[in-house]
Amino acid sequence: MSRRLLMCAGFAIGVSVAAPAAAGPLDHPGYPKAFSCSACHGFAGNSRSDAMPILAGQHAGYLKKALQDYAGGKRPSAEMEPYAKMAIELGVDDVASYFASQTRMPTASAIDRAAAERGKAASAVCAACHGPTGKGDAAKDMPDITGQPVGFLKNQLLLFKADKRSPGDAALMQPKAIIKGLPDDTLADLAAYYASQR
Amino acid sequence: MGVTRRTFIRTFTTGLALGATGALTGCAASMRGDFMPKAGKRVVVIGGGWGGATAAKYVRLGDPSIDVVMLEPNKQFISCPFSNLVLSGLRSLDSLTMGYDGLRKQGVKIVHAEAGAIEPDTKRVRVGEGYLQYDRLIVSPGIEFQWEQVEGLPAAKDRVLHAWKAGPQTVELAKQIQSMADGGVFVLTVPPIAYRCPPGPYERICQVAWYLKQNKPKSKVIVLDANQNIVSKTALFRAAWQAYPNIEYRPSSKIVKVDVGTREVATEIGDKVKYDVLNLIPPQRAGSIAVQSDLVGVDKRWCEVDHVTYESAKAKDVHVIGDSTIGLPVPKSGNIANAMGKISASAVVALLNGRPAPQMPPGNTCYSWVSDREAIAVVNSYRIASGKVVQIEQKLTPAQAVSVAQNAVGWAQSIWADVLS
Repeated sequence: MSRRLLMCAGFAIGVSVAAPAAAGPLDHPGYPKAFSCSACHGFAGNSRSDAMPILAGQHAGYLKKALQDYAGGKRPSAEMEPYAKMAIELGVDDVASYFASQTRMPTASAIDRAAAERGKAASAVCAACHGPTGKGDAAKDMPDITGQPVGFLKNQLLLFKADKRSPGDAALMQPKAIIKGLPDDTLADLAAYYASQR
Repeated sequence: MGVTRRTFIRTFTTGLALGATGALTGCAASMRGDFMPKAGKRVVVIGGGWGGATAAKYVRLGDPSIDVVMLEPNKQFISCPFSNLVLSGLRSLDSLTMGYDGLRKQGVKIVHAEAGAIEPDTKRVRVGEGYLQYDRLIVSPGIEFQWEQVEGLPAAKDRVLHAWKAGPQTVELAKQIQSMADGGVFVLTVPPIAYRCPPGPYERICQVAWYLKQNKPKSKVIVLDANQNIVSKTALFRAAWQAYPNIEYRPSSKIVKVDVGTREVATEIGDKVKYDVLNLIPPQRAGSIAVQSDLVGVDKRWCEVDHVTYESAKAKDVHVIGDSTIGLPVPKSGNIANAMGKISASAVVALLNGRPAPQMPPGNTCYSWVSDREAIAVVNSYRIASGKVVQIEQKLTPAQAVSVAQNAVGWAQSIWADVLS
């Protein structure tokens, strides 16, 4: 019996309503290695909380670098270090490509439009690396920060300012110097601006 | 014009939906015989908590051709994580109460009834006077209390609060704490391991001590811990308790008797302690259905499972997840139950489609609030080696912090959605 006939037979007795042929949301080879992440980062990496970053649609190279930095303690985080080590054991390329291949749903957290406007006006210093709207640069492992939660972005900027994110990383000395020169209010405005970008 | 495949499917979907609605809204009287006849592949899930609800959703995500029926007596999901904040007045129970509509949107059929018995030989779950047929069963019944372990408790179990299953007891305990006189004694008893949520009692101690310090400065918290020391996040809780001189912690003080008349509890070593408000967290075992259906091991308490598929060591095609399990080096936490829900769902989908189950080690993130604004966390990651789950690493936050509490809120929002929508 052909597959189609089998399916029709199934329908006739009321079995199945969906064709099994198309790849489903769990069929990516990275899913069994990345499934733990959704507890904090949301299904398919689309975090719906203000504190947790969206991983969906992030550049794979950047995700890999971030996981390696967490695992090695270069980017200190008690929460991320054990998971990063697990991701590396399981296959960091599969994990990174799983999230990179997901469609980003921009943050659902509230964005202050006036703050976003002020942030846009202050964003020229960020554009050199992150691009004019924050899409980043896959070739340089520069993250896509568009549509990320405001709280997450603001928190990261404050960690950079206090040199608590990747402390001592030579590659980050220049951006940290820029951020240190900005008042906290401006950092909040920048967070609102990039959160509002699509 | 012939019926196109799409309209045929749509018509059929409507028909199925109506049929399902008819079955689901039926009262117990309609649960006779095979009350929801199985046509194609079917997974039945017992329990709509952190494990069961996640498993039901992820089976549907993994293969939408599989019919998923979830049995859960409660109409709403109430989160145990964060419920200690209800005791300190920082959260309402309403803010921890969520519906099951998200699961229905994923196509999960929910029957608000209790599973009566599991019959692995005929692949049936007894419900009311009828039964449901399954191809694979996922059992996530949580914990039940061993009332008989404490003298006087079986007769007084409606008056002695555990508040260890978030719900009306949580609200009642909060009221008792609020109405206790300044100078009153709050006694909390910690059961011997293994029990649900290892750091939970110690977070509760922080929350009650914080509340009393603010509102009833002459009151104190006496902790009678059956264990030799704080079970989880030990040093971090010890540090947090520095802020609460109103805590009197007594390790190795297993409770053996309660007298609600004299308002007194007695420990194994003969200490007697008077209380004004008592929170007795009894010893625990797997949920009743697991015990009644003989899924528990020789200890008659917990269920042994395969570390890759979560199939029961006792019954074929029956998978057990969540707090009811034992033998894995993981805590009985909501995060682990959520992970086991996803892992068992992938295993069940693969096995029903003739494929081997993927190897998916769990991970655990666990936050505890130590004041109104600061939290601590422990994180565990695991690998599967020779078919067994083993820990890769455990990491604790270096100190209590507001930033950790912010992450706790983010975790809760994300994982509630992962379980329910």
